[in-house]
Amino acid sequence: MITVNGIRNALWCAIAFGIVACASAPMPTDKLAVAKTAVERAEQAQAAQFAQVELTSARNKLAAAQAAADKHDADVAARMADQAEVDAQLAEYTARAKQQEQLVEQMDAGLRDLRNEAQRNSSGAGAVTPPPQPQPQ
Amino acid sequence: MKGLKLGLTATLTTLWALAGCETAPQDGGLLPDARNAVAHAEQDPNVTKYAPTELDRARKLLINAEGSAKDKGATSTVASHYAYLATQMARIAEQRAHEQVATARIKSGESERQQVLLTARENEANQAKADATQARNLAQNAQAELARQQAESQRLAAQMEDMQAAQTSRGIVLTLGDVLFDTGRADLKPGAARPIEQIASFLAEHPERRVQIEGFTDSQGGNDYNLELSQKRADAVAMAIIQRGVAAERVRALGYGEEFPKASNNSDGSRQLNRRVEIIVSNGDDAIPGRTTTGSP
Repeated sequence: MITVNGIRNALWCAIAFGIVACASAPMPTDKLAVAKTAVERAEQAQAAQFAQVELTSARNKLAAAQAAADKHDADVAARMADQAEVDAQLAEYTARAKQQEQLVEQMDAGLRDLRNEAQRNSSGAGAVTPPPQPQPQ
Repeated sequence: MKGLKLGLTATLTTLWALAGCETAPQDGGLLPDARNAVAHAEQDPNVTKYAPTELDRARKLLINAEGSAKDKGATSTVASHYAYLATQMARIAEQRAHEQVATARIKSGESERQQVLLTARENEANQAKADATQARNLAQNAQAELARQQAESQRLAAQMEDMQAAQTSRGIVLTLGDVLFDTGRADLKPGAARPIEQIASFLAEHPERRVQIEGFTDSQGGNDYNLELSQKRADAVAMAIIQRGVAAERVRALGYGEEFPKASNNSDGSRQLNRRVEIIVSNGDDAIPGRTTTGSP
C-alpha cells in the first residue's frame, strides 16, 4: 500500500540522494552489477571447490564495494567492484582450467588402459573381453 | 619477445628513474608484481595463441598502472589498483590458455581413443580372419592327408597287384623275380628297396599279419651252395623288412635252394623263373603252413 507518508519519505530520500550525488561522483552501480554477475559466474563454474582463494577474495571485495557504496564512497566502491570482477574472473577461469585438466588426466589414464588392453588382446590369444573401466578418484 | 622485453625493461628503468626523481619510493608497491605477471603471461606461447584479448587487456592495465605511478607515485592507490588489475588479468589470460590447451587435448584425446578402438577392432578382425584361415588350412590339410592316405593305400593295393600277389591257402604270396640280387650274391640291389618298402608298409597297416620269406635258386651250382645262397637271400630280405620297422618275430626267413622249382630248369627262361624270392603274408594272424609238396606254394 502506498501511503502519503511513504511518498513523502521517498521524496526525502530522493532529495537526500540528490545532495549526495551533487557532493561526489555517482555511485558505480554498473560496476557493482558486473562484479556481482562475475562472482555468480565463478560460483557456477565451481570456483568454491577449484579456486577457493580467488573466489573468497572476489566475494570480500564485492562486499567491500557494496559497503563503500552504502557509505556513498564512489571511488572505493568502483575500485573494489573492479577488483572483485577480475578476482571473480580469475576464480572462474582457474576453476574451469583445473576441471579441464582433471578431465585430461582421466582421459590419459583411460587411453593408457585402453592401449594396454588393445596390446594384450592383439598379442595374446584368447577371447576379447571389454576392458574394465577404471574409476578415477 | 626478447626485444619487447628489453624495450619494456628500458622503459621501466626510465620510469623508475623518473619515479625516483619524483617521489623516491622505497617500494614499487604492486607494480613489480604486475610487470612480472604480464611478462610471465607474454612468455607463454599458449597465452598469445588462446588468450590474446586478455593479454592485451593486461598490457593496457599495466600501462595505466605505469602512468598512474608516474603521475601519482608507485605506491599511490590508483597505481596499486591498476597494478592489481593488470596482475589478475595476466593470470586470467594464463588460466584461460590452460583451459583451452586442456580442451584441445581432450579433443585430440577423443580422436586418439577412436583410433585405438579402430585399430583394436581391425586387429581383432584380422585375428579372426587369420584364425578362420588357419582353421580352413587345417581342414584342407587334414583332407589332403586323408586323400593322400587313400591314394597311398590304393597305390599299395595296385602295387601288390603288380607284384603278382596271389591269394593262396597259405596266405598272400608275392613272387619277386631275380631282380633283387646279382648272380651269386645275397646283398639286395637298389631296385629291391621299393617292393620291400611296400611289404613293410603293408605289414605296418596290418599289424596282426606275419610274413615268411622263402628263397629259391635254379639248379645250377652245388646243392649246398644253393641252399646257403637262398637262405642268405631270404635273410637279407627279412632283415630289410625288419629294418623298416616290422617286429622281428613277425618275419621268418627260409632258404629252399633249388627245391620247389617253378619251371623245368632246362632253359634260361625257366631257370630265371626258378631264381626267386617268395613272400608269404599270413591271412590275418594265422600261422603260415610249411611247404610240403613240390610246385604248390
